[in-house]
Amino acid sequence: MTRHIPAIIAFATAALVSVAAMAHAFLDHALPAVGATVAQAPTEVTLWFTQALEPAFTGCAVTDATGQRVDTGQVTIDAKDPQELHVPLKALPPGDYKVSWHALSVDTHRTVGDFSFTVGR
Amino acid sequence: MRLSYLWLGIHSMKFVRIAGPAALPLAVLIILFKPPSAHAHAVCGNRVFPATLVMDDPGVSDELSLPTITYQPIPATGGNPSGRTVDYGFEIDKNITQDLGIAINDDYLIQHGAGQNALHGWDNVTLTLKDKFLCIEPLELMMSMGIVHEFAGTGSGQLRSAGAIDSVGNTAPTWYVGKGLGDYPIGMFRPLALTGELGYQISDTPSQSPNEWDYSASLQYSIPYLEQHIKAIDMPDFMKHLMPLVEVSMSSPDRGYTTGTIAPGLIYLGNTFQVGAEALIPANRATRQSQGTGFIVQFHLFTDDLLYDTPIGRPLIDRNLWQ
Repeated sequence: MTRHIPAIIAFATAALVSVAAMAHAFLDHALPAVGATVAQAPTEVTLWFTQALEPAFTGCAVTDATGQRVDTGQVTIDAKDPQELHVPLKALPPGDYKVSWHALSVDTHRTVGDFSFTVGR
Repeated sequence: MRLSYLWLGIHSMKFVRIAGPAALPLAVLIILFKPPSAHAHAVCGNRVFPATLVMDDPGVSDELSLPTITYQPIPATGGNPSGRTVDYGFEIDKNITQDLGIAINDDYLIQHGAGQNALHGWDNVTLTLKDKFLCIEPLELMMSMGIVHEFAGTGSGQLRSAGAIDSVGNTAPTWYVGKGLGDYPIGMFRPLALTGELGYQISDTPSQSPNEWDYSASLQYSIPYLEQHIKAIDMPDFMKHLMPLVEVSMSSPDRGYTTGTIAPGLIYLGNTFQVGAEALIPANRATRQSQGTGFIVQFHLFTDDLLYDTPIGRPLIDRNLWQ
């Protein structure tokens, strides 16, 4: 019995891992990058997530240092890539901006997150 | 589960009679380092609290630890040769509602050396009922309360006869807390998080096995948090999943010495699984008398992600008791 334990564990684990998996949608990377300072004002923020997103329950707001929204409110999920979120922006003057997103992955896990970027002065 | 030397003084006598004088440090080691119960990962706002290896985390979730392998050397003492124990543990966590979960865990224990014949068999079954009653997302603050019960008599008769596993059950009301430092003003400190666990273990028979306080804490630094919320840094993808941490876990029985471990290590946090490894370093002189520095490794599956479209991966009642 003892000598078979590692094999039993390995088999059970492999069987589970082989199941097609979904997961919580976390931010993989963004453009402008998380915490970045960019010389030119971007026209949109693009977010790439670790999982496909549910459009009806996914959103994003970009605010300036005073808390005013600077995105156009027209958030869209990319037609070709369901893990990619586009957030068009108004014209941004130099300053600090906060991106706050919420997402529902297709397996119905809800996640939230935020980060900042700076447009160079 | 972790018992005092006084307790051992009483209960290891049978083991000593059977296995000889060298059995005492073996029994101490086995009892001190049985795998803890109820590990799970938890999300609150920006913060992901991983499944810590030595202590529990502050949340509930559908998950599976398979396996948790613990290796502990036994120092040579009093002319007795050294030995070792290897423990293969598992744990199943199942959500009843979104915030209320139940966990069952057990482990197969193998003990070699110290001049004794090998002992092996299943430990007692431990059951945990745990409710996550608080999550304040902007503060990354999460709390849970739980009841942990070890069922005496469910493990190997051989181990129980040898005094290597508990012959007395116990129940431990336990409080769990986690706090991310995401609201801290200095950016590079914001990936830090603290978690804690405080429980009072009430013996089924206090005259045989004393009650005890169990208290643990962890300090974690999340590279994923740094990457997702503070500053994206150009580094290999593997490193973006790492969480260095240190756990400290102590037990103070009503009668006997305080013992515990300091466990520095690393967790790799994947989308549907995590892998962790930590050293197990005796925290004080009383602990060092019975164990050397060992290690613990764990492979942990997030069944709420892997099997989300089955009853295994979803709460049995898909609502929150507190909303």
